[in-house]
Amino acid sequence: MSLPKHIYEELEAVVGARYISDRPYILAALRQPLPNIATPPQSPEAVLLPGSTAEVQAIVRICNKYKIKYIAVISSLIVFAYPSEPGTIILQLKRMNRIEEINAEDRYAVIEPGVRHGQLRTELMHLGLSYPVASVGPGGSVLSNFACASGDNHNEYGSSRTNRYICGVEWVLPSGELLRVGSLATDSGWFCADGPGPSLRGLIKGFTGQWGGMGVITRIAIGLDHWRGPAEMPTEGRSPSYKIRLPRDCHRIHIFKFPDLGKLERAMVEVGKAEIGFSVMKFFNASAALLATESANDFWDLWNSGLFQRELARPLYVYLATQSPEEMAYEEAVLMDIIGETGGEPVDASVQRIYEDNMDFYILVGFLQRVLRLGGAWAPAKLSGDSIHHMFEVARAIPEFMTEFIDKGMILNAPDNFMITPGEYGHFAHIELLFLWDRGHPDWANIGMNFMRRSQETDIGHGYHSSSPPRTGAMLQRLGPLYSNCHVWAERIKQAFDPNNVSNPMP
Amino acid sequence: MTQLADYRHTMESCNHCGQCKWLLGPKTRGWRFAEICPIHAQFHFDAYSGQGLINIARELLEGRLQYEPGLINLIYSCTTCGACDVNCKSVRDMEVLETILAMRAKCVEDGQGPLPAHREMAERIEKNHNIYGHDHAKRQDWLTDEIKVSAESPVAYFVGCSASYMHTDIARNTARILNACGVDFTVLGGAEYCCGNPLWQTGQREAAARQVEHNLAVMRERGIKTVITSCAECFGALRNIYPRYSEPDFEVRHIAEVARDALREGYLNFQRPVDLKVTYHDPCHLGRCSEPYVPWQGEIRAFGLHVPPKQWRRGTNGVYDAPREVLRAIPGLELREMTRNEENAYCCGAGGGVRSAFPEQARETALDRIEEAASTGAAAVVSACPFCRSNLEDALTAEAQSMKYFDLTELITRAI
Ligand SMILES: Cc1cc2nc3c(=O)[nH]c(=O)nc-3n(C[C@H](O)[C@H](O)[C@@H](O)COP(=O)(O)OP(=O)(O)OC[C@H]3O[C@@H](n4cnc5c(N)ncnc54)[C@H](O)[C@@H]3O)c2cc1C
Ligand code: SF4
Ligand code: SF4
Repeated sequence: MSLPKHIYEELEAVVGARYISDRPYILAALRQPLPNIATPPQSPEAVLLPGSTAEVQAIVRICNKYKIKYIAVISSLIVFAYPSEPGTIILQLKRMNRIEEINAEDRYAVIEPGVRHGQLRTELMHLGLSYPVASVGPGGSVLSNFACASGDNHNEYGSSRTNRYICGVEWVLPSGELLRVGSLATDSGWFCADGPGPSLRGLIKGFTGQWGGMGVITRIAIGLDHWRGPAEMPTEGRSPSYKIRLPRDCHRIHIFKFPDLGKLERAMVEVGKAEIGFSVMKFFNASAALLATESANDFWDLWNSGLFQRELARPLYVYLATQSPEEMAYEEAVLMDIIGETGGEPVDASVQRIYEDNMDFYILVGFLQRVLRLGGAWAPAKLSGDSIHHMFEVARAIPEFMTEFIDKGMILNAPDNFMITPGEYGHFAHIELLFLWDRGHPDWANIGMNFMRRSQETDIGHGYHSSSPPRTGAMLQRLGPLYSNCHVWAERIKQAFDPNNVSNPMP
Repeated sequence: MTQLADYRHTMESCNHCGQCKWLLGPKTRGWRFAEICPIHAQFHFDAYSGQGLINIARELLEGRLQYEPGLINLIYSCTTCGACDVNCKSVRDMEVLETILAMRAKCVEDGQGPLPAHREMAERIEKNHNIYGHDHAKRQDWLTDEIKVSAESPVAYFVGCSASYMHTDIARNTARILNACGVDFTVLGGAEYCCGNPLWQTGQREAAARQVEHNLAVMRERGIKTVITSCAECFGALRNIYPRYSEPDFEVRHIAEVARDALREGYLNFQRPVDLKVTYHDPCHLGRCSEPYVPWQGEIRAFGLHVPPKQWRRGTNGVYDAPREVLRAIPGLELREMTRNEENAYCCGAGGGVRSAFPEQARETALDRIEEAASTGAAAVVSACPFCRSNLEDALTAEAQSMKYFDLTELITRAI
């Protein structure tokens, strides 16, 4: 099915002929099977590149008039950015790419959807400002990350999840109506999402966002933090072997290994209590090996050496970023006390050096896509949050379902490839379990879903809060009861706002 | 010769991460000049990017996409600049540019490509051995009496079509620099044919092969052990295309490298100041695309393991330092860097047959690059490729911009 001519022409009248296409060769770039998903996505019927909020509104109204489904996207990184049904059009918002304002005094930035992490983060560095950058790579959309998708990041210990940073929001509702949220609604500026004026922040983002299912966010303001590093990244070398070292007087990385998860947990809690450090986490070890190497073969050499399994099975990564050398001396002394008391030890110097030489890990995660290097069949499981203690309980239960997949050779043998990131100095934590499989495996098409199902069943069995409820119906139904029946609320809200079910409907 | 089907792993591994459209994180400096693919920057649809082109290649290969004129135009809108390739390879084990080039070759094999402008160029090369269709007998007319050329030497200056006919000052300046460095060199004269790069880039592999094989035979016959070029396209061809046909038995050097070595060794001295703030534009085929081709045949096993191990061409070892070292050595000259430089340089817009087929598109890209050059505060942009020169100079003239363009060889000659 392609769009009837008169509908196409109506849409074309909104954006202009240059910014709409239904040619199969243009759509080919938006319907490729992702390497981790067995079923190819539906082809969109057309793709539009609107240039303003008014154009987005006009398109959404036309969609409602003819019951055409639409999905707002920027880079289309994730599966929810692809049509699940025929009769869907894609609105790629990349032409709406302005940084409208950076208010250094009140510490917020107003951005359009097409602004990427690489752009905003480096603009802000010049002004001594920063924000929590998702580890999605420099080309990921900031707005999508803050307002529409997940929002966890390497630095949330010293800051938070991105949902906590949303200030004003400009929102084209699924019907096409324009809503301004927070202080923006009363023309009081962009500084606060919760008023004066309507809040509704939870509807827009809540924990994970609506993945395009509640209309189109056209502008947001995000809160900014102070940046303690240089105005420009001190990059040395050439691709793919860059080195980025921040001045050691105020920027230091320490990585410790722990004999068991209990001791690691204690250390994480104590560091948070002491309120030292800018970034603290237990990071993935196979992903770390992928980030540290420059080809699949290099990865295999490193992985087969066993170094990362030995040193980084239960690591605590601590990045200290301070205002002065004296503050550094204080934070380092406190840290060493805590590590001594909790039984941690420094990791092998060669591992520590990798992070000292690649501090973009804490700025932009410049090489994030390396985690997909083994062929691209990957998926994150869990992805939810609760207390540090609860996240460690969840981690201890991982072998209950993961071991079988490893023993049967279905996934990469990396049982410790999970991350626990505390947020807001340890007041909550996030867990993510990354598993990789090979597309050459005879059962590759089912491995991803089977693994995630088993992971969720383990959570449901234990009553754990660790699987983030996605927007897809079946999974939401299963997990909703764990989260105050959020599936019932989600459905009702969706129906109220999107009676025609045109904004990225999902099965 | 590799075929499109050889790049299945690349086509099936792409996860739409978008790195092929954006400057690498560690090199990004702000909002402006963060895009890396000139066609994506201009047309915005994902189809216009490395990712989009390999998605299209996959559908073509699998018979899911039918040829139509718009598709062929899209495929030939790519400047084959390789920026997507370098950026993708910083994070993935994929061959984006090779896939795009193999797709063009498939278009030609299927009788659907190239575009008329490229076909006409191929006819001109076939007939007159140069891209312009000029009289082959005049290929060496650039040579003046004051230049000392040996009849026989194992060192050959491969002049290329553009410097032979269009920008003859580059040929003369290059020869003068070689003379100043005391390099005993020869030229191939009428025996030199087009390097074949414009044919290769437009998918006309058979026609390219005829040029390559001819030039290889001439060089063998004349006992050439070192080939020097002043043209980035010729340089890229000799290093990256020729080894696909025959194991190279000569070394390839760009005049920037020859001058740099001569400066270091004291054979060349800059006496005269050139008071100018300049920025250097890295030509794609002298920079990231110039790494020598290394054939690989093998198996991609589970989890991406390449057996035998593959030597990747990631743009790390292009010619970046030599022109910069030479420029910095010129008294009075100040070199400023653009954000997108070296392996991340933004294409001038001319390559891959774009300038001949889509002059407006080529001009718009050139203007983007000029804006970046101007943002450094430089008064002039310097490069080392006659094709970049034509495109950038034309855009500067059309827009009546005050910025000047210089070929590297001109500044060297002025300083000697
Ligand atoms: C390798 C990898 C690593 C990742 N790591 C992280 C991580 O560390 N932290 C994290 O938070 N996320 C992560 N993600 C998830 C996600 O891709 C990003 O959060 C998201 O910001 C990507 O931006 P995008 O430009 O690709 O958005 P898209 O993929 O284009 O869109 C993402 C979703 O948001 C919707 N959407 C986008 N823009 C709008 C809009 N303006 N209005 C309404 N809906 C919209 C889309 O419909 C889609 O459902 C990761 C993804 C990948 C592939
Ligand atoms: S960088 Fe590579 S993997 Fe990523 S979208 Fe581009 S081609 Fe695909
Ligand atoms: S080769 Fe250059 S123009 Fe072509 S897709 Fe890649 S980056 Fe874009």
